[in-house]
Amino acid sequence: MSALKGIDFYAYDNEIVGIVGPNGAGKTTLLESIAGSMHIREGQINFLGHQIERWSVLKRRQLGLMLVPQDGNVFPMMSVKKNLEVSVVLSSHSEKASLINYVYELFPVLRERRKQTVNTLSGGQQKMLAVGIGIASNASVMLIDEPSIGLAPKLVTKLFETLRKIKEDTQKTIVLSEQNIKVLDIADRLFGLEAGEIRFDEKKENLGRDVVRDLYLGSGS
Amino acid sequence: MILNGIITGLIIGGILSLPVLGVAVIYGITGIPNFAIGVIGVFGGFLTWYFLSFNMGIAVLVGVAVCFVVGYVLQRILLTPISERGGDSTLFFIITISVGFVFEGLIRAIFPRPNISLALPRIGTIDIAGVTVEGFKIIALIFAIGTLIVIRLAEEHTEVGKSWQATSQNLKLAKFLGINTNQVFSIASGIGCALACIGAIFWGALYNLQLSSGWELGFLGFIIAVVGGIGNIWGGIISALIIGMVMSFSGYLLGGMWQSVILYFIVILVLIISPKGILGSERSL
Repeated sequence: MSALKGIDFYAYDNEIVGIVGPNGAGKTTLLESIAGSMHIREGQINFLGHQIERWSVLKRRQLGLMLVPQDGNVFPMMSVKKNLEVSVVLSSHSEKASLINYVYELFPVLRERRKQTVNTLSGGQQKMLAVGIGIASNASVMLIDEPSIGLAPKLVTKLFETLRKIKEDTQKTIVLSEQNIKVLDIADRLFGLEAGEIRFDEKKENLGRDVVRDLYLGSGS
Repeated sequence: MILNGIITGLIIGGILSLPVLGVAVIYGITGIPNFAIGVIGVFGGFLTWYFLSFNMGIAVLVGVAVCFVVGYVLQRILLTPISERGGDSTLFFIITISVGFVFEGLIRAIFPRPNISLALPRIGTIDIAGVTVEGFKIIALIFAIGTLIVIRLAEEHTEVGKSWQATSQNLKLAKFLGINTNQVFSIASGIGCALACIGAIFWGALYNLQLSSGWELGFLGFIIAVVGGIGNIWGGIISALIIGMVMSFSGYLLGGMWQSVILYFIVILVLIISPKGILGSERSL
């Protein structure tokens, strides 16, 4: 795992934040540290007025943080429907059905295949389910680790459009780490991460594609 | 004689399926091989025996409840913390075997006799095609199958059951979703030990319970679970019934002294041909 140094990261309500950077920049480490599956040695994490860096994953989740990891982001031997049913575990009884319905509206193919075992779905469909699980969890901040990886370009565009729609529908915060340049189309703000340090923190309007592209290639090359 | 052998095999298999189910539930959900569950179950069997003269229902309840609590607490204060620090199978083998010896010692220290037979009330006999079977044995078999069905139904249709499945399939994601996985582990461990206790009570009523019975039931439970595909509940039950038949027929045909030779020879043979067990398993030991 990459080490992070002097990271100053933040996100607001109703915002899509992109964390961009090359492999090994520390994107996953940053997301896991926020979600609580990794612990930071120094520094603070504040969320909704609580200082949470010593909290367990479960406690952070109850406060509203949810990470959709890059791998292992579905329950492979369960049906699509059951995957979503376990994702709404923290929601009240009345919310559950509408959350699952919302996921089906966003990804109709999941409704069609709701009875299918997840490991029989295509890679793209599994990725949609992974995002669907994040949405169904109804967390106020959804952290998604590289949702576009392994997806065909068309599907990436579609997925990003859906994320945009989710933000507009729910006013939630979405933080996604990405290596795909298309993230520029949906993010409100971007953090450039390289070798564990933040290179830039800019609103999308202030960033050119070349800046982002340079970062992916790495400053040394 | 064949029918007699089949019925005896079914009953042995049915009773054995309880500790097997215990192993399958614990290992399937927590991923930890707990070799102490047989001894803990027999400890509960001794407790039941101790209170039997008082009231049978209460006696069984005491034994099963104590085993549940023991399993729950053991998981919470010992096994889950070790697992979180990255304990491997070898470490769990040593630790759970040690726990088993603690409970064997407790049986020796607490109870006045090291060899008991539980005198549960015998409820009549049933004739099956000319073979007379004690009704009590049929109840043991029905109970074992009923428990299996209840667990499977709970897993499929209740919220708790779904959380269990989720925890066993993807622990990290289950945690991210807010499932209290530590509690799931503790309850699974409690249920596993309680099932082992029910198995021990039936075993003690049909045969007898002694200090070594816990290891026998526990290891047999494990071996049968591995033969069926460890963590795979259906595989465990099928395997228990097959092993029950093997024990019954090898006893009838060749005499009791050949029973274990035949039994373990078949176990080894099955595992050479199919190392993941009859029905296979997601996890391997």
